[in-house]
Amino acid sequence: MSQISPQQKLKQPGNLSPRIQWLRDYYFKGAERKWNNEYTCFTTGSPWDAQFNEMSFYIVPETYMLMQTMYQSYRMAAHTVAVPQDFYSWSIPERRAWFNKEVMVNYLPHEILPGDLIAGARFNIQTSFCLTKKEMKKRTKLVMGKNGARAKMKWFHDHGFGNAGATSGHLIPDYEKVLKAGFKGIYKDIEAYYNELSPKEKKGKKGAQLRAMMTAATMPRDLALKYAEVCKQLSKEETNAERKEELLQMAANLEKVPWEPATTFWEAVQALWLAHMLVMSDENYPGPGVSFGRVDQYLYPYWQYSLSRGMDREFGKEILKCFFIHCNTAYDAMIRTGNQGITSGFGQLITLAGVGKDGNDMSNDLTFAFLEVIDEMSPILEPKPNIRLHQKSPDALLDKVVDMIASCQGAPFLLNFDERSMAGMLREARKAGIEHLIHENNVYDYAPVGCLENTMVGNDRSGTVDNNLNLAKAVELAINNGRDFFPFTDPVTGKTEPIKQIGPKTGDPRTFTSFEQFWKAYEIQTKFIIKKIVELYEESERIRAQFHPTPYLSCLVKGCAEKGVDITQGAAEISFTTLEAVTYATTVDSLLAIKYMVYDKKICSMDELIKALKANWEGYEYLQTVAKNRAPKYGRDDDEADSMGLKVMELWTEETWKYKTKSTVRQFRPGMLSWNYWVGDGYILPATPDGRKKGQFLSNAICPVNGADIKGPTANANSVGKVLGGKHNPGDFGGYVNLLPNGASHTITFNPSILKDPEHREKFKAFLRGYAINGGTALQINMLDPEMLRDAQKHPQDYRHLLVRVTGYNAYFVSIGKELQDEVIARLSHSRF
Amino acid sequence: MDHKTGIVLEIQRMSTEDGPGIRTTVFMKGCPLRCVWCHNPESINPKPQVQWIGVRCIGCKACVAACPNGALSFDNGIQINRDICKGCGTCTEVCPSTAMELLGKKWDVDALVKELLKDAAYFSTSGGGVTISGGESTFQAHFVKNVLSALKFNGIHTALDTCGICNKSTLAMLLPHVDLVLYDLKEADLQKHIEFTGKSNLIVRENIKFILSFMKDHIFPREVWIRTPLIPGKTARDENIVAIAHFINELLTINPRAITRWDLCAFNNLCRDKYTRLGIRWELADTPLLTKEELEHFEAIAKATVKNSSIVKTSGSTRMEETEEHIPEPKKTSGCF
Repeated sequence: MSQISPQQKLKQPGNLSPRIQWLRDYYFKGAERKWNNEYTCFTTGSPWDAQFNEMSFYIVPETYMLMQTMYQSYRMAAHTVAVPQDFYSWSIPERRAWFNKEVMVNYLPHEILPGDLIAGARFNIQTSFCLTKKEMKKRTKLVMGKNGARAKMKWFHDHGFGNAGATSGHLIPDYEKVLKAGFKGIYKDIEAYYNELSPKEKKGKKGAQLRAMMTAATMPRDLALKYAEVCKQLSKEETNAERKEELLQMAANLEKVPWEPATTFWEAVQALWLAHMLVMSDENYPGPGVSFGRVDQYLYPYWQYSLSRGMDREFGKEILKCFFIHCNTAYDAMIRTGNQGITSGFGQLITLAGVGKDGNDMSNDLTFAFLEVIDEMSPILEPKPNIRLHQKSPDALLDKVVDMIASCQGAPFLLNFDERSMAGMLREARKAGIEHLIHENNVYDYAPVGCLENTMVGNDRSGTVDNNLNLAKAVELAINNGRDFFPFTDPVTGKTEPIKQIGPKTGDPRTFTSFEQFWKAYEIQTKFIIKKIVELYEESERIRAQFHPTPYLSCLVKGCAEKGVDITQGAAEISFTTLEAVTYATTVDSLLAIKYMVYDKKICSMDELIKALKANWEGYEYLQTVAKNRAPKYGRDDDEADSMGLKVMELWTEETWKYKTKSTVRQFRPGMLSWNYWVGDGYILPATPDGRKKGQFLSNAICPVNGADIKGPTANANSVGKVLGGKHNPGDFGGYVNLLPNGASHTITFNPSILKDPEHREKFKAFLRGYAINGGTALQINMLDPEMLRDAQKHPQDYRHLLVRVTGYNAYFVSIGKELQDEVIARLSHSRF
Repeated sequence: MDHKTGIVLEIQRMSTEDGPGIRTTVFMKGCPLRCVWCHNPESINPKPQVQWIGVRCIGCKACVAACPNGALSFDNGIQINRDICKGCGTCTEVCPSTAMELLGKKWDVDALVKELLKDAAYFSTSGGGVTISGGESTFQAHFVKNVLSALKFNGIHTALDTCGICNKSTLAMLLPHVDLVLYDLKEADLQKHIEFTGKSNLIVRENIKFILSFMKDHIFPREVWIRTPLIPGKTARDENIVAIAHFINELLTINPRAITRWDLCAFNNLCRDKYTRLGIRWELADTPLLTKEELEHFEAIAKATVKNSSIVKTSGSTRMEETEEHIPEPKKTSGCF
């Protein structure tokens, strides 16, 4: 056997042309690059002007301390754009549309990187709010006033509830229309709606909005023409004949798209990129879950057309690789700070494969071309691929998927599961009374945004990361009769707030004689925290609706032109906002532990448990150990524990459906995504009855508590499927129930031995097919890595149930002795399982 | 004991090594053999036993206080006086951390079958099912028969993993409910078989012939996989592999299509800690694994000798080479959210 060094085992890119190799290497030079796409700031020049809309970052607690700094530094760095004299007599959307277009077309430099086949380089901008002094004053009070959005958001977060804010992106614009009709077609449609208005309406809000959208719809045309000029200029200076030819073709492409419909694959990808990057410009936010949808479907006709007219398949992939590089430049926004908390929040998803109209798989040659590009380019971060699997996924697709997982030591993509996902989409249609918009005959066209949040395409904004609620807060309040466990001390001012009655009085739990009584208290507190987050969200939602229109994005989402209303005012045909529950398993396990210890087994009284929690379990190690090891846990396919999980799920999801935003009439819908809150909020929430101490991680999304899934991957997946509602007829779709239309993030870590040879890879494929039957909506596959085992050597108490498997032989890693542990680690490092 | 309850050591889900597809493997308690290399020494005794897993223990001594027989003491860890311990499991009930673990739990047929059906979806997508192993699967034959027939009633693929030490009547009772027999041929030499396992191999040789004849006029079982452990200094000898291959050739004349696989299973040392926990000195504790070359060598011999070389498969780990040992500690990176 040839020797493999661990360094070599890191996945390496491959099959890259010198062009792509150069672009990729250049990209990874990061801050050392001469060219980059970091934020450029622009102002109207008015003394009250500002750019940074902090509300987009309310869901990113790491930025709270930086908000004032960012607000001020963007103001100071801003270049002045000369505005027309009557600028402030226009409506806000008209001002924004004009200003952003002016910046993109006439102020921001237009550059083509060496060898690049796609134009559209700089797009990260921070542009003027374009508000009058009076408007600005009003906004400032609403955002930064004593009882403003910021103060309310901070209180909510500091007290362990979670966070909420009207956030950018997280949708799939109607890019297919850009390709099919061009912005010319989009413009004509808006114009037609405008012409239908009465003279009075034209003078009013609707007219203003549609005029703003018409201005915005011409921005891509004018920008493309600027880039066409650059290409022509470069071609004149170019000495290499082949490159000269490419530049001339690029110029021709840009003179046509995205204004006219695309014909060739190259034109289609060029049009797609410009249309996409301008969404990020319009929202002043780089790539927050602005996703592409089913690229292998809507780009396929162009792919076929060009292949049939002699395009080399590898050249088609080359175009896609340039497109991939462009997606990654979104990260340049804050390239000099490199803050992971901010820069890891991007998620320009592409969706591949999945069922079509007849229930059969839709993967095609372009699906595989995309997979090859991912394989050849990775490791690379954007765009993030989601592969849709289902019971009928073809072997060829699964083979490629499993090969890629094996070569990357974990999946370079997320897997989405159609049956369960579509059940959720149909449930939300029923719950919101929009069966005419989502039904059996179009639900297969759903696609995820951001990470895994399922939405429809081109007409749907579902605010998929806007509300993040710690369910475990309701447990804390139930134990404390509606009060926090501890007083909050501000780390900056050092000021301590007294403990107040913040939630309803649900009674002193020490007087409860049954678990049912405790459950009742938990139920009331859950309803309370949901009401609380709905109220908080309203703050930023209504301010955004009033002051921060995105007329360009509105051109690309069905419903806005039709209504003559901006997308930020809830105009998308499908307009949800999503409540993502965090700390789910921690909450379920806490309830199970209370039931087991206090009521069923009477191991301790409620009084003792409360004392133990207040002491952060210190001095109560016996009780903590019982809570951690003896109490039932979610994630083990234990029907009794999982039925508690379902009960918790039904309670909070049903409560969520009761709410709509007041200012924009967006229906709340449930989902489970925890981003990194399960880590950060672990330092805020006190000790929990499941044995967790303050400062330890909470549970992530729909995953069982770390280390609780001791029955292996099938049991883990079955538990997830059950708490999503399981399967029964008729269900929401084909017998499947899905209480979380948004979807639920699920990660399982496997032993690499599952991929060691063709026979085992077949078994792994079968696991994925089984997951489609029994599991959840989305799965991230990780592989056990040497680093985790080294950590387990150092902290055996955290890994007591970690099983390692060497060719079928299972052993508890922490109990096999240092020498054998080292050998297992060495084997893992060399893929010698 | 009635035939509705059995003593089960462990139920392992998503097992990928005990037959085709994704399987749930049931490890039964009790074994007639005493193989020197035994990987599941805790399965030999048919009765429930307790063990103490030191790394889990928080030292609360609740077990010592709770033992109704005074079998436990605390002296540099929990000491179990196995002469007194009745395996009642009281200590495991009070242990907060599962450091005291009961090896062998009573299972009712219906409850066990319900548990085993939980992964039916994965069985169907993978061509997998349930494997009854041990210990020795035929040791609690009536219970196992009830479990197997209930599984077959539910359309589940079943495998019986046996060392071949049992009555023919027991086999005749079980075989109609079994799709696949995993059959051990460990050692061809009679004396060595006795030396390594404590029992003669005559009955093992007879029983496999019985199974193959049985298959000729029954629908079940459908196939047989032979398994041979390759234990350094014990069964991993050229002449043993050659002799087993010849014996398989002889078996192929009885029923040419029944044996579809012959697995050579490389010695594994991960069970070392189990012996420590049970307070048994293990003869093979310091035995190194086979080298890759040795495993390939035995595979080549097996393939050269057996009539149908395509049935020969190998599994298991081989020794890490010296040059592979030094792995730099990787840099700490942040976790993946």
